[in-house]
This record gives sequence, C-alpha cells and structure tokens, in this order.
Amino acid sequence: MVDAARHPKVDVRTYTEVERVEGYVGNFKALLRVKSRYVRAERCNGCGECAKVCPIEVPNRFEMNLAPRRAAYVAMSQSVPLVYTIDLDACIHCYKCVEACGKLEAIDFSMPDQLVWEDVGAIITATGFSHFDPSVIPEYGYGRYPNVVTAMEMERLNNSAGPTAGNLVRPSDGANPSRLAIVNCVGSRDKRFNPWCSNFCCMYAIKNAVLIKQAHPEMDITIYYIDIRTPSKGYEEFYERARDMGIRFMQGRPSLITEDPDTRNLYVLSEDMTLGQVTEREYDLVMLNQAAVPQPDVDTVSSVLNVTQSPGGWFMEYHPKLRPMDSPTDGIFLAGACQGAKDIPASVAQGSAAAARAGRVLHAPEWEIEPVVASVWEDRCISAQGKKCGVCSRACPYGAIEYEVGKAAHVVVAKCHGCGGCVAECPHNAITQLHFTDAQILAQIRALLAEKPEDKILAFRCHWCSYGGADLAGVSHFEYSSNERGLRVMCSARMDTDFIYEAFRLGAGAVLYSGCHPQDCHYITGQRVGAARAERLLNAFERLGMTPGRFRVEWISAAEGDKYARVINEMQAMLDVLPKEQLMAENERLRPDMEKRARRMREVPQVEEALALTDRLKAAMTKTD
Amino acid sequence: MNTDMNHSDKPEAFADQVHAAPGGEHLMHCFSCGTCVATCPIQWIEENYNPRRIIKMVMLGMKDEVLSSPVIWLCSACDICYRRCPQGVHISDVMKAIREVAIQEGYEPVRAIAQVNEQACAGCGMCAQACPYEAIQLTTAWDMGQPSTVPAVDRFLCLGCGVCAATCPSSAISLSDVSDETILAQIREFAEVGQAFQPAKVTG
Repeated sequence: MVDAARHPKVDVRTYTEVERVEGYVGNFKALLRVKSRYVRAERCNGCGECAKVCPIEVPNRFEMNLAPRRAAYVAMSQSVPLVYTIDLDACIHCYKCVEACGKLEAIDFSMPDQLVWEDVGAIITATGFSHFDPSVIPEYGYGRYPNVVTAMEMERLNNSAGPTAGNLVRPSDGANPSRLAIVNCVGSRDKRFNPWCSNFCCMYAIKNAVLIKQAHPEMDITIYYIDIRTPSKGYEEFYERARDMGIRFMQGRPSLITEDPDTRNLYVLSEDMTLGQVTEREYDLVMLNQAAVPQPDVDTVSSVLNVTQSPGGWFMEYHPKLRPMDSPTDGIFLAGACQGAKDIPASVAQGSAAAARAGRVLHAPEWEIEPVVASVWEDRCISAQGKKCGVCSRACPYGAIEYEVGKAAHVVVAKCHGCGGCVAECPHNAITQLHFTDAQILAQIRALLAEKPEDKILAFRCHWCSYGGADLAGVSHFEYSSNERGLRVMCSARMDTDFIYEAFRLGAGAVLYSGCHPQDCHYITGQRVGAARAERLLNAFERLGMTPGRFRVEWISAAEGDKYARVINEMQAMLDVLPKEQLMAENERLRPDMEKRARRMREVPQVEEALALTDRLKAAMTKTD
Repeated sequence: MNTDMNHSDKPEAFADQVHAAPGGEHLMHCFSCGTCVATCPIQWIEENYNPRRIIKMVMLGMKDEVLSSPVIWLCSACDICYRRCPQGVHISDVMKAIREVAIQEGYEPVRAIAQVNEQACAGCGMCAQACPYEAIQLTTAWDMGQPSTVPAVDRFLCLGCGVCAATCPSSAISLSDVSDETILAQIREFAEVGQAFQPAKVTG
C-alpha cells in the first residue's frame, strides 16, 4: 500500500466516493466526492497529537468495536496516507486538537467536501465484501451471549496488534478460554439467509484454530462443520496438519447454543454425524464463522457503474469461466470478492488479471469492437418527430442508446455489444443491426424456405449457445433430421416476431426459437427480452389455432448438443404424424394473418433489394443443378 | 390418494415414491448437516429417531428398513427443525410423505391412535376443533333411523397426541394404548410413593 502511494503514476484517493460515471471504454468521466477529513492532508504529518488530546471516545470499527478510538483518529496504524480525520458525528467542538496541532495548522473545521471530475480510461471495481450479522440467527445467541464472537472479533482478539495485544480472552470476564468451539457455515449454505458457500471460511476456521493451537497447545479446539472444503493447492495438507495438532473436527451443524448464566460458559448442541448421536459439549468461547455477503451499498455502486449483479448481489462477470475479471460493460473490470466470495490467492490473481485488462485499454490508441452494432434509421424514428417512445433505450442492457424526445435515438457505438434487442423491439422498425440487418435475415429465411417449406424446420439459433449446441451435435455425430435449416443471430433478443410470421407466411413446417439458458445469456438480459417475446408468440399462435408444437421455444446451451438433436428430432416426429394436407390447409388459413403481421418488415429499407438478390441467386443455383 | 403414481410397470425408486407423495417435495434438498437431529425433542426421548438418517436411508432406497421401522411414526410435527433447517426442508412433511408411502405399502401405524366411543359421544365436535393435525372429521351416523353426528379419526393423520381425549367433555375419546384408567392408575401410584416421588426431568 505504501509502495502504491509513493509510486509516481499511482494516485491513491482515500475517503473518496465515486458519485457518477459517464462515457464509455477509454473515455470515462468519473465524478468523485473527496470527503472532508477536516484535516488538511498536505499539512498533517501523522504525529497523532490531536488524538492524544481528544476527550471523546467512540467504538473503534476497525477493532470490531472491541476497543475505543477518539473522535480525531486514523482507521488503523498502517493507514495510507497517514492523515488523521475528525469524526464530526462524535466531535464536541472543544478544539483541543487545534491547539495540539499548533503551528502545523492542519485542522480546518470549515473544510468542505470536494467534487471533482476525473477523466479515466478504465475502471477496476475492487469493493470487497462484508460480513453476515449472525445476530439474526436466534439459536446461536450472538449479541445475547457475550462469549459468542464472530470470526472478525476473534481475528482482533487473537491479533498481537489488537486491543488485547494478542492475549486471547473471552469478553464476559477477561479470562483465558481453555475450550474453544468454531462453528462453520453461519449464514452461508443456508437458504434462510445466503444460499452460497462463502468459499474461504473452512480454511479460515482451520487457520484460526492452528494459530491459537500454536500459541496455546493445551487449548481444546473443536470445529463444527457440514463439509470441509479444501480445494486449492496445499489446503488439504493444511487441514491434515490441523488434525495432527489435535484440533477436533466434528461433522454436524450445531442446532442450538445455550449459556450457563453463572459461568457464562456455552453449551453447543449438535449431532455428531459419524456416531449418529446428539452431543452437547461445554465451551468457554464460541467463534461463529459467518458468511461473506456483498457490501451493503452494492446497489448504489452497481447503478453508478452500470454493472449488473448476480443473484445475491455480487457483481456480474462477463463470463463465469472465460472472462471472470471483466464486467459486462467494456472498460469496467472486477477484482476480488466484489464479484463473489473468494480467498486471497484468487483475489490477487483476479486483481492482476483485471489490471492487465485495464492496461490493454489504456495502451490502445483505438479500441476494436465487434462490428455488429445497432444503427438507427433516423428518418423512421418517431422520437425525431417529437413523439414519446424510448422502447429501444429500455431494451438495451448496456445503456448504449441515448433517447430524448425530439431527437432520433442515438446509439453510442462504443457501448453497443450487438445483441440486436433494440432492433427487434423497435415498434417502427427504425433500428437495424449491421451484418444482421432485417433485409439480410429475411433474405435468408426466404432462401432456406425456397423449396418444400412445409417439410422444413427453421431453427433460429443464438450465436453463443444454441448455435454452439447445434455445432456440437454435428461434431459429435448426433443424428438429427436433415429437414432442419439453421439461421444464426447474435441473441434470442434479435429474433423478431416478424421473422417468425414471415417464416410461417412462407409455409414453414415448424419453427424453433432457441437461445441461451437465462443464467447463461451473453448480453446480460437479452435472453429475457427474447423469452418474453417468445411467450407472446406462443400465445398468439395458440389464439390463431396453430397446431401446438409447430412453433417451439427451447433454451439450449453450447454443451447440449444432445438436447439440440433431440429437440429437432421431436419436431420432425411431430411433423411426421401431422398429415401434409392438414398442414397445408392450416398454412393457407393462417397466411392472411401472417401476411398482415409480417408486412411491417417489408417496409424496412433494403428488404426488396435483398429479396431480389436472393431470388436471382436461387435461380442461378437451380440452373447449375 | 396417489393412485396415479405408478404409471409404468417398472418398480418406482423408493426416493421418487416419497418425493412424489404430498410433503416429500423437499426431500432431495437435504445435505445431511444434522441440525434437525440435534434440534428434535423426540430424539431426546427416543435415541433411535434420527430424521437425518431416515432421510438419507430414503435417498439410498432402503425401503424395507425405513418402512418397517417404528421410528417413522414418531414425529410430532412440532416443526422446530423446519425453522432451523438451512436447506428449508420441511422435515415433518417429509415424515408424513414417508408414512403415506408406508400406508400404501400396507404397513400399520406403530403408535397410539384416538378411538371414539360412539355410544358416549354427544356429537359436540370439540375434538375436531382441538385436533392440531386435522385428523378428526365429523360424520353423520345412522342409529335406528336417527341421524347423529360422530367424529371419525383418520388413523393416518392422527399422531396420538391425546388433545382430543383431554378435550372431550363426555370422555368419549381415548388413546388406543393410553386409556384414562392407565393414566389415573399411574397418578395413584405416584401419590402412594408420596414424598419419595421426584418429577421426571423435563428435557423439552
């Protein structure tokens, strides 16, 4: 930390909050609130005279409230920069600190917060995690029984720089405990609170047990656990070392902790699963190894940075396996536990990766993006005519569309990831997606259904998942009906209702609408936009009286080649039992409806030319046959 | 109930059978942490009643062992374990599902059950109101051409708590193996012991 602060190219801003972020990759503008310390950083030399004379004592948050601090304070002795802060909520304005500071004149009670805009090229989010408050679990008695402490309180109690200088005492009477219980999974793996495994607590429990056992070999230490998870390098060996040292491991999650009101000793009730018997053991001190949870202000940070959240509130990564350090927004990166509970080695690795990613942005004079971005036909956008709309802007998961009544919608190209959700959602067909224009897709539909459309299964596949699934079915040699005709778009969000209507107007036998599973969507919420539309289509076709199964919606991942083959084969089986005459009659009956519904798409520029080209191509191909 | 469960000729796996019975939905969520066992007040009295072990045995398909075990009839549905279960498994419902399967397979409940003496019953219906398990339904019986209201005990829902017997103003309900006479005899015996009598340690 000191090295970072001294580095000529690193500017450390502490006690500062990011209030707003505008712009895009390489060109962000961040509004910073530099909160007032009421101490001028350039004058303060960190001597601490102000704290010595300050008469006010408040609980010290860094010491988990186990020790006091003054109203003039530094968070901890290793704080960087070593500049004192006046806690105005506690201060009684006696100004003794001003006197003590003397000629330095560092203390300034009139100092305001400062708001500054900074130009930044990339942003790394490393806001860390918070701790679960175990007092909401009544059966563990935290908050009622003084000798039930959290892992962080234990950390301070057992730390040579802590309030007891490393003398491990129990809070009720200051006596040294001789029997210690550590309870794992407090608030984690618990659907009442946090369903996730907090990743590092098993190792953390073992580490604390080993540290305490080293200092106090006579101590009786028991770790209560459901499963011990030691998956990384050297971890299992560490667990073995703990067992060698005589630390007791008890499989069984405690159901109740009770206190003897006279001795303040604690009784931990649990099943010993290996014996299949309920045991109740007496301890002097119990440590609750509480869950890691997202920071309490994660929603604020999430909206300031436009970074989405995974279930539970952790920041969402671009891809869980391949891009865990990237956020879905270009130029914003994730490091450490803000993306999900992780231990120190994993945090360091992710932080270094995020720094390298950010470095790529900072060193690039130009930033390449995928060319499949959205583009607005300005003359068709009704917002330009002063009408309210904004559908595109709401459909965009990346906030890439600037919408203002009176102006045509504007796509910030650097932010656009090319899902095509806005294109399909625009009720006036005023947006197109480069390389996946309406004209191109319609021409493909026409070509794929040129011959015997009633035999064909037209499959819309999203680029990332269901196209991959179809590909895997192919390379795995899974047999599926040769009547399938695949059509690739970037996301199920791009699969316009009009494409489906057009396919049925042309007489397609069946249409498959396929994309990623909701949790796998490569465009944050694209699949949800597509799924909602597919639902509307299913209802519409039901009302029109179409044979069920002719329009099918399936979410197929890139690993589900077998599922892709099975779905296509099921659709083929459905077509096989459907009499051809009935199908043709149904198509004839539905055609006027489809014609009416798909007509809008023909209004889009370039469709006519593209269709004419398709027809010429078709004619040419037929000739060579 | 559950007549539509066995579609195929293939014998259904025991775990699936319990899973499909009402209340068995959460069976598979159990990850064997043992919280329920250490919570259970029945377990303090009857050591062999171990809900975690029973659920595990169901998952392992140990059908005969589970269904013939007398302990599956012991759960009193106090639901303290449900409130503490980290996986939200409604254990008393799972036990109910297991008993449901046991009954389908022809096993008889191993516990006291409320019995109605229809001659003494006044048909007031207080027992039906008192029953915490909704095991008593009022039905109409015809006696010499006269309709009369009598309670009918569902022997599968009844957990043998005896609330109905204590509530009945006509002493028309008793438990199958703990009659009022038995309890009174026990009280008299304790009274005779007099000073030497120490109340049993209440572990609940």
